[in-house]
Amino acid sequence: MKNTVSGNFPAAARIGIGGPVGSGKTALIERLIPALEGRGIGVAVVTNDLVTREDAERLKASGLINPNKVRAVETGACPHTAIREDPTLNIQAADELVNLFPRTGIVIIESGGDNLASTFSLDLVDYWLFVIDAAGGDDIPRKKGPGIVRSDLLVINKTDLAPYVGSDLEQMKVDAIEVRGDRPIVLTNCASGDGIEAIIDHLSQSVLFDA
Amino acid sequence: MSKTPSILPALQHSDSFFPSGAVSFSWGMETLVTESHVPDAEAVEKFIRAQLTERWASFDRSIISAAFVASKDLVDLRKLDSIVECQTLSHEMRDGSHRCGLAMLRVHEELGTPLAKEYRGCVTRSEACGNLAVMQGFLWANSDVAKNEIWALSAHTLCVGILGAAMRLGCIGHVHSQRILAALHHTIEGLIQKPPLPLERLHAFTPVSEIAMMRHETIDSRLFAN
Ligand SMILES: Nc1nc2c(ncn2[C@@H]2O[C@H](COP(=O)(O)OP(=O)(O)O)[C@@H](O)[C@H]2O)c(=O)[nH]1
Ligand SMILES: [Mg+2]
Repeated sequence: MKNTVSGNFPAAARIGIGGPVGSGKTALIERLIPALEGRGIGVAVVTNDLVTREDAERLKASGLINPNKVRAVETGACPHTAIREDPTLNIQAADELVNLFPRTGIVIIESGGDNLASTFSLDLVDYWLFVIDAAGGDDIPRKKGPGIVRSDLLVINKTDLAPYVGSDLEQMKVDAIEVRGDRPIVLTNCASGDGIEAIIDHLSQSVLFDA
Repeated sequence: MSKTPSILPALQHSDSFFPSGAVSFSWGMETLVTESHVPDAEAVEKFIRAQLTERWASFDRSIISAAFVASKDLVDLRKLDSIVECQTLSHEMRDGSHRCGLAMLRVHEELGTPLAKEYRGCVTRSEACGNLAVMQGFLWANSDVAKNEIWALSAHTLCVGILGAAMRLGCIGHVHSQRILAALHHTIEGLIQKPPLPLERLHAFTPVSEIAMMRHETIDSRLFAN
């Protein structure tokens, strides 16, 4: 793992969450925080809000997390650059959080919103999720793109909305498996919490070895 | 035996491909564009020229040179760092200088640049701030950039950083930004003809950008960190 911290605590895992604006990245984080804390894993969050500090403020005000464990990083209108070519300020924010809160087990970095071609630098994160949603259309997995194909975990969110927009969830799943091979996929409903435990299980196996 | 001088290290370190955090900073430009004080390409050029002549030439350049010379001496580097700290007024300007400097420092630490790890230790222990101009002279010296190239490198990265911000703010186009950059070459060449000021004569006067950065602190809608 990336970071060694002074003291006797294991280095925190760094998890990236990418995906189009509105797909439910922040909603997913709001679900992951209590689920991870429930398993005794301390969480800190770095957000890359595009224009405002909305996501950071929303998390700070959520009551789910100590507001000091949330940092907003401005990306100068370059959300992809900030997670890929030049993630230095995100790394800096994650380092600072881990230094301030040495018991942090996981730092979640939320991207500012991506198109399907975005990826995370492996010098920034140990593991990354890409969140799409059923309401965005069931053809998205077929459109491929590195986010869909190469992410460590693909999350298809807003399953509850599929019937309202005529999205065929089964087809989305089949298409996603077709382009991703063995890489895992989880269907979630962040409004109800369905699927969150499955994500935690994947994180536990892949990066939270001691969880 | 010294290595053959090469332009390649200078190209590597002046390229916006080098991860430096610079895309997140507008150095006052965001406020000035948002508030219509910098409405067009002409105003952008004027703004950058003022940064070059009124701050970079009379302040940063001397610090960069001194840090280049002191590149093996952590005590001297820390003294330079505190000079920059004491002479930088606005909070977001200092913060931008720290964050860019630290971003550079951490990448250099991972690249194995001599003394980068040690200096980052000083910053982590709050013994130094890691101001950008100091980090440039120090880390470029320890990355085999030739001394006669550091000024052009620093001036170039300053221009490109602000031009990129102006472009992303919708103020100039991609061709115009290259025209401005070319026009600024003449200014830079002129400035680096003269020897840098001695440390006791450093000065900077860029009130427009500094006040813009102060105003930026409380702006809700922000693409940039300053
Ligand atoms: N019905 C439903 N709404 C959701 C779900 N996940 C997120 N949302 C809503 O979708 C909107 C965008 O979510 P947000 O987390 O802000 O998306 P982000 O831009 O990817 O961070 C918000 O209004 C959420 O409440 C879901 O699974 N089901
Ligand atoms: Mg969000």
